[in-house]
Amino acid sequence: MLQDVSKPGSTGVDIFTMVVLRRRFEAIIGEMINALFKSGRSGVLNTAMDFSCSLTDARFQSISLAQGLPVHVGAIDLIPRAVAAKFGRDIHPGDCFVNNSGYLGNTHCADFTVCAPVFVDSEIAFYVIARAHLGDMGFPTPTTYGPRSRDVYEEGLMLPCVRIQKDYADVPEVIDICKANIRVPEQFYGDYLAVLAAVRTGEARLKVLCAKYGAATVRTFVDEFQNYAERMACQAISTLPKGRVSKEMLYDSETELYPEGIPIRATIEVDPEEELVIVDLTENIDNLPLGINMTESTTIAACMTAVLNILGPDVPRCTGSFRRVKLLMREGAAIGKPRFPAATSAATTNLCHALIPHLQSMFAMLRGDLGTAYGTIGMPGSCAVVSGEDARGQGRSFVNQLIMGYWGGPALSGHDGWLTYGSGASQGILWQSSVEVVEQQQPIIIEKLEVREDSGGAGQWEGAPGADCIIRPRSGAVRFMVNSASREHPPQGAHGGRAAAPMRISRRDASGNDTELPISVDTTLRPGERLVSEGCGGGGYGDPLDRDPWAVVASLKAGRISRHRATEIYGVVFGHEGEEVTIDGPATVARRAQLRRRGVLA
Amino acid sequence: MSFQIAVDVGGTFTDLVVLERGGKVHTFKAPTTPGRIVDGILNGLELVADHFKIARAELLAACSKFACGTTAATNAILEGTYARTGLICTEGFRDTLLIREGGKRDTYTIAIDYPAPYIPRELTVGVRERINSEGGIELALDEQSVVVTIERLKHLGVESIAVALLWSIANPSHEKRIGELIETHWPDIPYSLSHRTSPTLREYRRSSATAIDASLKPLVRRVVNELESRLRGAGLGGVLTLVTSSGGQTAGDEVIECPINLCLSGPSAAPVSARNVIRAEGAATCNAIVVDMGGTSFDISIINDWEIPMHREGVIAGHVFGVPSVEVKTIGAGGGSIARVDAGGFIHVGPESARSVPGPACYDRGGILPTVTDANLARGFLDAANFAGGTMTLSPAKSEAAIRAEIAEPLELSVHEAASLIGLAVEQSMVAAIEDITIRRGVDPREYIMVAGGAAAGLHAVPIARELGIRKVLVPPVAGVLSAYGILVSDIKSSFSRSLPAATDAFDFDSVNATLASLEAEATAYLDRMKVPAGSREIRFSAEARYRGQVWQITLDFNHTHIADAATLAALEESFHQLHEKLYFVRGNDTIEFTEWTALAIGRLPAITVDHGVSEGGQGSDAAKGSRQVYMRELGGKAEIPVFDGSRLTPGTRIDGPAMIDQRLTTIVLYPSTTATLSANGSIWIDLI
Repeated sequence: MLQDVSKPGSTGVDIFTMVVLRRRFEAIIGEMINALFKSGRSGVLNTAMDFSCSLTDARFQSISLAQGLPVHVGAIDLIPRAVAAKFGRDIHPGDCFVNNSGYLGNTHCADFTVCAPVFVDSEIAFYVIARAHLGDMGFPTPTTYGPRSRDVYEEGLMLPCVRIQKDYADVPEVIDICKANIRVPEQFYGDYLAVLAAVRTGEARLKVLCAKYGAATVRTFVDEFQNYAERMACQAISTLPKGRVSKEMLYDSETELYPEGIPIRATIEVDPEEELVIVDLTENIDNLPLGINMTESTTIAACMTAVLNILGPDVPRCTGSFRRVKLLMREGAAIGKPRFPAATSAATTNLCHALIPHLQSMFAMLRGDLGTAYGTIGMPGSCAVVSGEDARGQGRSFVNQLIMGYWGGPALSGHDGWLTYGSGASQGILWQSSVEVVEQQQPIIIEKLEVREDSGGAGQWEGAPGADCIIRPRSGAVRFMVNSASREHPPQGAHGGRAAAPMRISRRDASGNDTELPISVDTTLRPGERLVSEGCGGGGYGDPLDRDPWAVVASLKAGRISRHRATEIYGVVFGHEGEEVTIDGPATVARRAQLRRRGVLA
Repeated sequence: MSFQIAVDVGGTFTDLVVLERGGKVHTFKAPTTPGRIVDGILNGLELVADHFKIARAELLAACSKFACGTTAATNAILEGTYARTGLICTEGFRDTLLIREGGKRDTYTIAIDYPAPYIPRELTVGVRERINSEGGIELALDEQSVVVTIERLKHLGVESIAVALLWSIANPSHEKRIGELIETHWPDIPYSLSHRTSPTLREYRRSSATAIDASLKPLVRRVVNELESRLRGAGLGGVLTLVTSSGGQTAGDEVIECPINLCLSGPSAAPVSARNVIRAEGAATCNAIVVDMGGTSFDISIINDWEIPMHREGVIAGHVFGVPSVEVKTIGAGGGSIARVDAGGFIHVGPESARSVPGPACYDRGGILPTVTDANLARGFLDAANFAGGTMTLSPAKSEAAIRAEIAEPLELSVHEAASLIGLAVEQSMVAAIEDITIRRGVDPREYIMVAGGAAAGLHAVPIARELGIRKVLVPPVAGVLSAYGILVSDIKSSFSRSLPAATDAFDFDSVNATLASLEAEATAYLDRMKVPAGSREIRFSAEARYRGQVWQITLDFNHTHIADAATLAALEESFHQLHEKLYFVRGNDTIEFTEWTALAIGRLPAITVDHGVSEGGQGSDAAKGSRQVYMRELGGKAEIPVFDGSRLTPGTRIDGPAMIDQRLTTIVLYPSTTATLSANGSIWIDLI
């Protein structure tokens, strides 16, 4: 146990006040989220909930991160740090700053992050932060991810931590620049009002809180809460096996620099005695001429998300627990901190989706009941950014990201994958768009959205499936942009579990012929043509031959697996009683033994 | 003699409230008989008859009105005991009930199984058809595939069928045709069509509501018919009604037709109850937060300016039931909630419950984990010798041992301090839950009173109110049977909805007014069926509305039977802006879109004058029954405080905290800086100073 981790109640705030203030902070963040949620305009905001609210104290310590996208909140302190570094003493009540720069602590260009100081007794006591993924950020092409951008100049509008409100009123020039660059200025302004509502709500509630309990007590609470979170992390780490593991995976390449795939490398060292986890990412390759380079913010968040997932849900996600995770990274690395002017607009998705489960899977190397398999990496075609003109609304132009069939969670010891998982960066928190809402908001028809058979990786615990989805434009041309992955290198299994099926995205012409589309999709479809999206699943965990045969029957009945997989991979032999599928027990035992021998020989 | 009887069949107890001619109210509790709820009701009626010293048949013959709330539907959903139901959907969308809407609540819990769909995939069949968002037919219904599907479902042995097609709200013709084909090819099978059950946007919510409705049809038909026939057999002469999710009552036939309305029957009546009590107290305004605190759960509902807000996001066991319902928020916090200390030295209380078996440690039935009830006993708030109306004796030693081992020692606190901490922690959870349905809905609790019902309410009401800034707490005389009393005094009520898109920039007055007129006709026909006299009728309208570009609607009430002209529309627009600003702090200037229109038919019952029978004679001092040693941090630790017998208090008597008032089913703890006064109706008003 570390010396600096104090016992409860040893300082100024007693356990009674701790209980009360912890709830108060959760309530404040909850209110911020609610203020943002139902007043946002774009689909990613008000249907998918692709946003988060957070706060830190004046020393940039984050508090309770119980709600919000893991990749959004894992390094939220970088935002107020950027404000303080840039504006110093020139920060006043009524200010609000906006930042979307991956070089100033933001996640990626499309995440519009606002931060307001909270003054108590004429000094800054807190910063409140709201971050939302906007439907458009003024990229050269109508998308919010530029996986093939070669540098920042091929990405969207840059807002390098600038003041957007002064004395609680908009700075009109900044709003004008945003409206002039963003394709849907009205939608943008509505979304801006929503994030602003969130920070102003947080500001008002924090002031009331400090008035009620005393600013000094509240400040001490924040410190004490960090110590508590650190104790929780220490305890969780102390139960892990000691060890050091290194692993490399390959990520689908769109650069001739790495024709076989882009390597992702990590070394994890778990030291239960020191109660410390060290993640070393310094061996990673240099920045790529692609938009998938990670930012400092997403690298830290990915790492914290993965390690804290292993430590369990009871450990608060905040500065205190993050102290027990030591992250080594280097500037100029694709996975690390970018070197200007590397492009980072897809920093929350592609490599980030891969890195989180990559780190988690390494814990399975330490012990057979730890870690997870890999989940979906990259977006399926059913999560395209769609744009065009809507004949139903007098040719009104639209641009929005669909969040459909964003599934395929990784299996882990004891549990099949979570269906509506999406990726390690969102971990199930995103809402899936309603088909009817999608069709009302865009002139497209969804012809199918169902579980894709055999897409989840087989295992004692099965990866969640991906989605089969077919989309067609109704009357005019619709442009589809997707930053996918998981093609050559689908999500892998762990601890003997199998890989998921690869992701596929195709264009189906009017006569029904399919043409496979590249990893980064940019295609315009006309009426009669269809986008065919086949989502990868998540990887499996553990040997498929150890799966409960009744769980295999359940997967079969639910359309998740084929009869072929049930027999050939899971080794289950079926019998029948009328309509009901039953299991031929002795034949299954024999079949499994035979498959095991075959596996050993192979 | 003449009686009105209201019954609330809960999970553990069947509560009965009996109104005598002349207005005197009597309350009773009988054990619920799971699976055979009518037995429990008849047993309860036996208790009532004994009380009046008449035969049960005589009691029922003299009963002019019998209203019943039942968790039968809610429990069937919770326990998965609903009928084997087939789902017919649009081809290509068989997994709608599996996908739900995403948005995992517990982001950081990864060791968790994905929930099963309400109807499994093998009982879900797609048919070839497709309608678009404007109601145009993209692909005509393949009737042959429907016939094949019906035969398939027959073969699979389903007992009911749900039909939920994409965009049936924009054009119901395909669903209607499937309904006809079902009636032709399988005349006996009950079925539900989504555009009728829940004509709302979003395929998951509509499909889920329809699936639930269809799945309840066989059960609810059985339950209602059994209730009716056995009560009639036992001699009931008067009208029989059931209370619905809207907190109103309606005839059994209506419930059989649309059983989804039985979801949350019971808890939905709690705010109705509170409103009636507040009115009886002669209050000029009514803004209240109503809490009902039992052994395992804490239910919260709201009254805004005499109105009980409704919503469409009701959920049971994770399944959205979608029909307009009284908003009742439930959290797993009550007397049985278990307290624990985590590895970092923080306390957590609930949601795990010790339930009744093994129960709190003090029940001495094998439970060794400390609960909220243990904490209340250890700090002297409960009378060990006289718990639950004297039906149980508690073990203080077991409570203290559990608290010492699990809470006090790890945190280096005394047992008393630890007990206080458990109380505080559970109260904080309750405060957070109340904030969730008040502050986040634009309601400021400081302008509200709190109505406290349920056995545990009196113990925790004051600290919760204090934390929320509430200055008055009302403990009604019917606190122990809050919902049953609400059932007695609830209105006749049913709502009718129709989907029709409209927008303020191109408002089609004719089609909107035609829709409103047809809803009004449906509502009127319903009130006719319920035989509501003309003077007691009311029909209210609302629309689901949003700014263009938003995808979530909010419910906008309005009081026109039709929207006559641009000026009426402008007023409607303005009221939407105000509502949006109140809820979300921002006001837009965009076009407003309307998606769905609703008429709520209300039949007001003759006002009931209730005489709660406050005992006469004796002065306040007679009610004093000694003192009890408690531990209260507000008093600096241990203190001896006076205890009063609630049944012997007289109207107007004032008791200053710190003190306790023992009632038959609950104890009220008056912390320092509070004053309790008994009203003429038998309510206890607590003022927080």
